[in-house]
Amino acid sequence: MTAEPSNFVYHAWLSSASLPPKVISVLLEEYETPENIWHDFTSLQNSLEKISPSGLKTLKQNISKEWLDKTELLLRHHKISAFTITDQAYPDSLLHLQDPPAILFYQGDLQCIAKKNLAIVGSRAASYDGQKAAERIACDLSHNGIGVISGMAGGIDTASHTGCLNGGSQTIAVTGCGLDTVYPSMNTKLRDRILENGGLLLSEYAPGEKPVGWHFPFRNRIITGLARALIIIEAKIRSGTMTSVQHALDQGKDIFVYPGDPISPYFEGNHQLLREGAIYFTTANDIMEDLGWLDNPGIIGQNSGCSGRSFPLSPEEAAVFSALKPGKLNFEHIAEKSRLSPALLMSTLTMLQIKGLIEALPGKQYQLIETDI
Amino acid sequence: MEEIMARTLSFGVNGVNGYPVHVEVFGINGIPGMEIIGLPGASVRESRDRVNAAIINSGKQMPPRRITINLAPADMKKEGPSFDLPIAVGILIANREIIPDPALVTDRIALFGELSLDGHVQPIKGTLPMVISAKENGIRDVILPVDNAKEVACIEGLNVMPVSHLSEVIAFFEGSETIEKQQQISFDSLKNDIHVTTDMAQIKGQKGARRAIEVAAAGGHNMLMIGVPGSGKTMLARCLPGILPPLSFDEALETTRIHSISGKLPSNSGLMVMRPFCAPHHNASVASLIGGGQDASPGEVSLAHNGVLFLDELPEFSRGALEALRQPLEDGFVSVARVKKQAMYQSSFMLIAAMNPCPCGFYGSTRKVCRCTPQEIRRYLDRISGPLLDRIDLQIEVDSVPVQEINTSAPAECSAQVALRVNAARMIQLDRYRGTGKHCNAQLSNSEVKQYCTPNPQAMRLMNAAVETMHLSMRAYQRILKTARTIADLDHADTIGSSHIAEAIQYRELDQKYWR
Repeated sequence: MTAEPSNFVYHAWLSSASLPPKVISVLLEEYETPENIWHDFTSLQNSLEKISPSGLKTLKQNISKEWLDKTELLLRHHKISAFTITDQAYPDSLLHLQDPPAILFYQGDLQCIAKKNLAIVGSRAASYDGQKAAERIACDLSHNGIGVISGMAGGIDTASHTGCLNGGSQTIAVTGCGLDTVYPSMNTKLRDRILENGGLLLSEYAPGEKPVGWHFPFRNRIITGLARALIIIEAKIRSGTMTSVQHALDQGKDIFVYPGDPISPYFEGNHQLLREGAIYFTTANDIMEDLGWLDNPGIIGQNSGCSGRSFPLSPEEAAVFSALKPGKLNFEHIAEKSRLSPALLMSTLTMLQIKGLIEALPGKQYQLIETDI
Repeated sequence: MEEIMARTLSFGVNGVNGYPVHVEVFGINGIPGMEIIGLPGASVRESRDRVNAAIINSGKQMPPRRITINLAPADMKKEGPSFDLPIAVGILIANREIIPDPALVTDRIALFGELSLDGHVQPIKGTLPMVISAKENGIRDVILPVDNAKEVACIEGLNVMPVSHLSEVIAFFEGSETIEKQQQISFDSLKNDIHVTTDMAQIKGQKGARRAIEVAAAGGHNMLMIGVPGSGKTMLARCLPGILPPLSFDEALETTRIHSISGKLPSNSGLMVMRPFCAPHHNASVASLIGGGQDASPGEVSLAHNGVLFLDELPEFSRGALEALRQPLEDGFVSVARVKKQAMYQSSFMLIAAMNPCPCGFYGSTRKVCRCTPQEIRRYLDRISGPLLDRIDLQIEVDSVPVQEINTSAPAECSAQVALRVNAARMIQLDRYRGTGKHCNAQLSNSEVKQYCTPNPQAMRLMNAAVETMHLSMRAYQRILKTARTIADLDHADTIGSSHIAEAIQYRELDQKYWR
């Protein structure tokens, strides 16, 4: 961390050829630092039969002064640092992986890794319910000092990071491209917030690497590797989330699965996992109990920004409120159950929304806001 | 043989206004032939052959002379076949095939009509504006195709003579026969023939959307419906003409004029009494929406004047087409400028738009999974610009009705009942805005919103609370006040109360859910 930043340019050079992490690890064991490899590269390249011809070609191309200068600018501009598998800073948890990353680039505070962390993952194209659940659970965990690791993609990842930030703990994002790029770009603000809050951004890809499809399932092993356990919020049966499950199984991590709406297709994968024996949970409390972390004092189950019932309810409001008790309903059904005219129901719904008792969902649906647990 | 000369009267159309055209026929010795001058369009030039055949088929002779026909004023471009009849009559009079009845002033009788080769008089476009212009120019007698007679039957003080064959016109000018006058039809009697094609009674369920559409109709508000495919958005929109108050006489004249010059009036129909409903497909070009083409003809926004413009699949319209809607939405007219012609068309319409919540259509659906990524949804919604959204007062979500409900639910209220309430609310607004040039709440400017749409103190507190908790924008604030005014009018309330504001807020829901 305190190393001269210009050294990291050799880290970038060594990872620029997309060599398998194992090959780089062998090289690093022999030469200790990427810089040494760079210096000896011309003399040693003939004996490096392990490096693929295309990899060698890229390394040769990038050995030029121009490339190094350009990359150094990127590193400096984005304040990107790096460490290797041979460094002291390298987290133990990753050493046990089948295919540990040889070089990791990061922005932010590396200390985050040493704290209590849980991974939360799920679909990018997530349902509203899923995103709400992810945010709530991440927020509650965060209240209890537990950090959240996720992939900074859209949907559940974004919700998890946001929840964690709202709860006050640091969050770790493991991305699938160079740290100079934010993918998806709409998460630029989220990235800034993560760093401002003392969080950490990690990537095994050198600056300048584009978000390529295969990077994402591959980086999932780092997300699960760094976490004590994996929390699945929303998964379809065939999805990237399922690769995280596979990694977690390989690494022997606990898998907690949130039971979404059983008839919603968004949660198909969740229910399959639960049938296969994943751990069932509904609240952050459940997870902490199962992991034996409950002695940790903290505020449990408090969702940020929810207001209590400080207003008395009119008869119409009470009718709508009780109609919604069993679960979310669309406008037509509320009208039927509450027997209010459409005009009156419209205004009643607004009153309840202003009082913070219900929320409107896409598809003209409404549901009660959970106020207590 | 000496030269021959005659003059008849017709009318042309420029934009939505007619203007007199003097048809001068001059014949001289020479190689027989006919030349039309005075900027004739292709269809006017072809009139030569139609007239020739029609005269011969009416048992008359074409003069064996070199004939020049001048359409004065000579610097206005003339389009359309409506000059066939005045040209034919002019030639016959010039050639003394017709010796006009001395009681007639031949160039004070307006003639319109396309001739078929056998001499029949065919319907034409633009009858209404031309006849109105005739009346304004002090002309009383009008001879026109029988199929166009009803279109002008509501106009008082005219002697309208419908004809179906050139020989009837010849007999009229010779004084041997008279043409039966078109009976005047009162505008009110036309209203009895209104029949609603899509009735509200056909809509099952959709209580929320039904209410929203009633509010939109009552205040003349633009409305955007968002919903999954098959949720009934189009059907809801199609109900609107049936619940809007019928056109007033002046409105009917304005709207019928535009339809008349576009040739969109069904033959043998009178003034339009139902408000028009235009639903252009989403591949519509800017010119077809706004107006354009060689002769600057009116577009869909003008055809929808005083009625409803329904844009289904709003984000699929080209960006240019959507942005071009802003002027007519704001000003109530469009000016169409082309190289050869400029025209200004009225286009004050209610915009009803429908769209899916996302490209695949199922975002927020309880029945099907949405396949879209958040970026795709964002991009899809971003196709509708803020300034356009700004002009849409009501935004509602429409959910699909389950099949079992379609079969079981009781018959709903019919359009006529809804129309009564809408009409009453419109009456209140007409009274309130008398003398300001406005006639419904939707037309209020921001300063007028302040003047007319002040809620009572309790409602004001609610409004402020809503702005805070629901993060409403200033733009939404103004729209809510306007909509609340309409809801209060439906309620026959003088001041806007809490329940009106609260209901109006529900119609801005999408501000929060989709367009933050």
